[in-house]
Amino acid sequence: MPAAAEITKVVVHMYKMGTGDCFVLKFHDGNKILFKILIDCGCWSGSKAELIPYIEKLKDDVKGHVNVLIVTHEHKDHVYGFEAGSEIFLEHIAVDQIWMGWTEEDSDPEVKRWKEKYAERTMAIAKAAQEVRNRLDSPGYVSQYKDSQFKDEIFQLHTHFKDVLGEFADLHASDTVKPGLKGMTVVKEDIAKNNIQYFKPGTIMKDIEGLPGVKIFVLGPPLLYDTVRTESGGPGESYDHNKDIDADELLLGALNFHENGNMDEKIFPFDSTYEVSDKDRLKIVETAYKSEEWRGIDFDWLMSSGSLALRMNSLTNNLSLALAFQFPEERKVMLFPGDAEFGSWSSWHDIEWEDEDETIDTKDLLNQTVFYKVAHHLSHNGTAQSLGLKLMTHKDLAAMATLDYSIISSGWKSTMPNRLIIKDLLAQTKGRLMIMNTDNLFYDLDDQIPLAKKIEDSRKKMKAADHKKFLDSLDNSDEHFMEYVVKIK
Amino acid sequence: MVSDIKSIMSSTNSEKPAYRKLKGYAFDPSLSLLIETVDINKIIYKIPWEEPKEDSSNPMSRNGPLRPGPIGEYIEVIDFDPTIKKFYTPVDLNDPYLLATDGFDPSESNPQFHQQMVYAVAMTTIKNFEKALGRKILWAPRLLDDPNEYERYVPRLRIYPHAFRDANAYYSPLKKALLFGYFASTPMNSAISMPGSLVFTCLSHDIIAHEMTHAILDGLHRNYIRPTNPDVLAFHEAFADIVALFQHFTFPEVLKHQIAKTRGDLSKQNLLGELAVQFGTAIGRYGSLRDAIGKIKDGVWVPQKPDPSDYRNTLEPHDRGSILVAAIFEGFLSIYKSRIADLLRIATGGSGILPEGDIHPDLVTRLANEASKTAKHVLSMCIRAIDFCPPVDITFGDYLRALITADFDLVSDDSHYYRLAFIDAFRRRGIYPDGIRTLSEDSLRHRINLKALNTNTNDMISVISKFLEKYRTEVMNVTDRHAIYKISRSFIGGSSNTKGLHKSLSEKFDNSFEFEKLTGLIFNSDFQQDKKGYTKDKPISYQVLNLRLVSRVGPDGNQTNQIIFSMVQRVGVIYQNGEIKEYYKPARSRDNSTDSAYEKSDKKATKNRFEVVGGCTLIFDLDTLNLKYAISKPLLNAAQLDKRKRELNMDRVRKQFEYQTEVLPASMSEFNLYFEEAFDGHFGEPFALLHKH
Repeated sequence: MPAAAEITKVVVHMYKMGTGDCFVLKFHDGNKILFKILIDCGCWSGSKAELIPYIEKLKDDVKGHVNVLIVTHEHKDHVYGFEAGSEIFLEHIAVDQIWMGWTEEDSDPEVKRWKEKYAERTMAIAKAAQEVRNRLDSPGYVSQYKDSQFKDEIFQLHTHFKDVLGEFADLHASDTVKPGLKGMTVVKEDIAKNNIQYFKPGTIMKDIEGLPGVKIFVLGPPLLYDTVRTESGGPGESYDHNKDIDADELLLGALNFHENGNMDEKIFPFDSTYEVSDKDRLKIVETAYKSEEWRGIDFDWLMSSGSLALRMNSLTNNLSLALAFQFPEERKVMLFPGDAEFGSWSSWHDIEWEDEDETIDTKDLLNQTVFYKVAHHLSHNGTAQSLGLKLMTHKDLAAMATLDYSIISSGWKSTMPNRLIIKDLLAQTKGRLMIMNTDNLFYDLDDQIPLAKKIEDSRKKMKAADHKKFLDSLDNSDEHFMEYVVKIK
Repeated sequence: MVSDIKSIMSSTNSEKPAYRKLKGYAFDPSLSLLIETVDINKIIYKIPWEEPKEDSSNPMSRNGPLRPGPIGEYIEVIDFDPTIKKFYTPVDLNDPYLLATDGFDPSESNPQFHQQMVYAVAMTTIKNFEKALGRKILWAPRLLDDPNEYERYVPRLRIYPHAFRDANAYYSPLKKALLFGYFASTPMNSAISMPGSLVFTCLSHDIIAHEMTHAILDGLHRNYIRPTNPDVLAFHEAFADIVALFQHFTFPEVLKHQIAKTRGDLSKQNLLGELAVQFGTAIGRYGSLRDAIGKIKDGVWVPQKPDPSDYRNTLEPHDRGSILVAAIFEGFLSIYKSRIADLLRIATGGSGILPEGDIHPDLVTRLANEASKTAKHVLSMCIRAIDFCPPVDITFGDYLRALITADFDLVSDDSHYYRLAFIDAFRRRGIYPDGIRTLSEDSLRHRINLKALNTNTNDMISVISKFLEKYRTEVMNVTDRHAIYKISRSFIGGSSNTKGLHKSLSEKFDNSFEFEKLTGLIFNSDFQQDKKGYTKDKPISYQVLNLRLVSRVGPDGNQTNQIIFSMVQRVGVIYQNGEIKEYYKPARSRDNSTDSAYEKSDKKATKNRFEVVGGCTLIFDLDTLNLKYAISKPLLNAAQLDKRKRELNMDRVRKQFEYQTEVLPASMSEFNLYFEEAFDGHFGEPFALLHKH
């Protein structure tokens, strides 16, 4: 009788399309591949032609079939590949199952209602970006600042704002009239054909055919909308903190008004009798306002849309399907949190796991983590500190981060990579930190120490045997992906 | 007939009123919804009377006319809402009905009341500043891109009561304007704000006073929006909050209500602390500045125990600013307690324990008046100190020294122990000025030993003093703010027939090591110039700012006459590995010649380029015609100057560099991280970002 099948190693391929996630996991029993998972397929930007070679490669890599496709959340850097490579996906890659977070289940009326509000807000970012573009192109804008000593800086600042806001709009929606991203539509409508499973936190999957002995713990997205909204906690709890004030409705009304002149009663703060309507009097007040052009405020109110974009960004990140693949016998975990931010991380600790085999809590899962897919491309809010990284104490911990400065949103560069997270990651992994592309990344603020060198130096401090073992597991020779083998047995 | 009536009318002896009375909220509208505070939430603001129109009978009257808006001498309220492109009818406060009724009744739904409210609180704040400073306030001038006109006078601060839709309000240094937002509330306590109801930041006394203070402080020290150490922006926030808080405490009506609740052991009463926190919660997020004062636990206010490590470790500007607010508040409380000790003994027969029941209304009135008076004193002290601060790079320690020096200068006898109270409160929070290890009035007070200076320096100082005396003669009786501005500018910059202060100083004191030591600034035309013969751009930008005449009368009737001005220098350096590799000409030097296009070059190359700033405030006593104080943030190393060597103070260079490249970026908000590359107060709307959460 042949020995029962078991997972001995997992081969991880991180695709190098640019900042964004695309991972292939191959679960091996010796040399035999028992199970294949694809997690996300996206990158921040790029033409179809640029992306196709990677997706072709991916197709060969999985030999035209994956057991499970996981889409963590609807951000361009996680789903754009499904749009750019839709033909390959539809015709050449067979997908048995699709897994998503419970917040993607559009048929649930509760989710649907919430999603409508969500869509309205993501579209508002696009509207605001358009309004900002219009404003900056208007002749009034140029003349407003023409006499200022700081006109160049102001222009630079506002242009940067315009660019970043535009990128936040692109991150959430493919065009300006329809909410959502095309890549997500391709997955849900074309690839899935109603074959999607949605997961809530607290679920434990086991006895999956092809994954003998493996348990999959669903950590997020959290169930409470409040938690979804919390981007980060206080000092010591995460790497930065931020508060959330929800005052969107009014701003949305104003943006709609500017887009289509829609005079919704609700958006007016005062009775119309107080408005200046008489033509002659209007002229007087307008003259008073416009007499000193440099003090005009036609642009400034749009800055509020920046806060809205940040809130929507965090919220969507927190909707990530976060999974821990556990190998109970070896007490090893591979952690794929999507882009979960602090609110999601902290909610994982409130989950009471009901596992018949053993009592386990989230802390244990983090303690056992030997592979961590770094959330949100090494940004300050992507990894919880005391509730996350500090608990990943396994001696074999390795981490992969999908950051590439050559293909990235311009607004992200100031938060990615976060030096403190790099520092902690290097310490916890002893240098087993793998970054998609370290070009132009520096460890220090003076740009004196290349990050690649710092990583090298950290690795040299490993014991010779460990160092060799690590280098044997890592293969970056392929131009399309980086390979790392997680030894289970 | 008609003309007869007119002449009879005009011959009546009615005098111009001293005040205009306007109704307004004492706190903000949310307190009107609570039954226990509804009575105290409406007060009458008494603000200086501005004439309805140019008074033709008195052509000498320089008071600007008050037009609908309100648009007056100091401020113009423009009620344009750009989010829906609407103008609201400007209120005419000279409308006879409104004059007869002290303006509109407080109302959230009437934008004309909003205009009235911002005007009333803004003018109240201006009045408090002018009273304490002993002169008219001027707004920071507008900086132009014109070689012939570097800056331009701004007569009025603009106020937009409904500028955007966000839970925020800010002062824009770029537009010389206050922008107030409004938002749909998501209250913690749904009993106070109705769900979904609108909250207008322009209806809160504290928010208006806070933002006004930012604007006024920018006019007094325009370099305080340049963050060179962790205290600078924190100071802007803290000072704005201190003014808002103590201005609130000057209204006895507000205090009486709270004091009437006093029961039992008087030594334990903490009602003012409780009230300060209540102000804080009523204005939502501004409350964080008040958190350090104390917390209300089980309905009782407990003062926060000061922790000296907070000052070392807290870097976010609001949190850091709250440490200063708490220190000033503690000083205020100890002064108040010592001022009412006798009253309490009388009221309790010496036991300190009140009999049961309501306390006597006369006692309430007396206590409230004492609290209000103390608040007025503290407010004036805090504002006056601003004149005694360095023009750049301020720290909380500098402010403490300014408080002590300014107060000593006016009131030499500290009979109520005001100064001790503040020194103690700062000490308990670990706030020590640079170079001072023990905190005492004597060590903190600025002073100059003129006798130690050589005759040459003393002679030159008297030349400057005499020049300043001329300035006094010219500006003394001028009340028109624009005229004051023009005279001051011409004394700084010079005119066709006189050499200005700017040039006189640099020429008279060229190569004067002694004056350089006194001011910490560089007075050497050869500094870092190329020795090989060809000229290089001078790496120093040098400005003379804020020339002003100050006349104050102390409580003993003693009068001080002083002239104050500030000098600011910036030196462009390329700083690497703790050393200066090279010097360069700072951007936008006053004497702009050919500036390199450094702003356009890539980020990496500019990383180690930065401008070190230093400055000095000089205070001349006009009665003795002598220099009385030189309050300096030095650029030069004093010890080296003694050896007749000019070297930058490398400790200060390092601190400024490290703060700007490491600490500041790390304490930036999320918004700033994503949307902003720089944190320059001149164009980046620093206060908008600071208030964003």
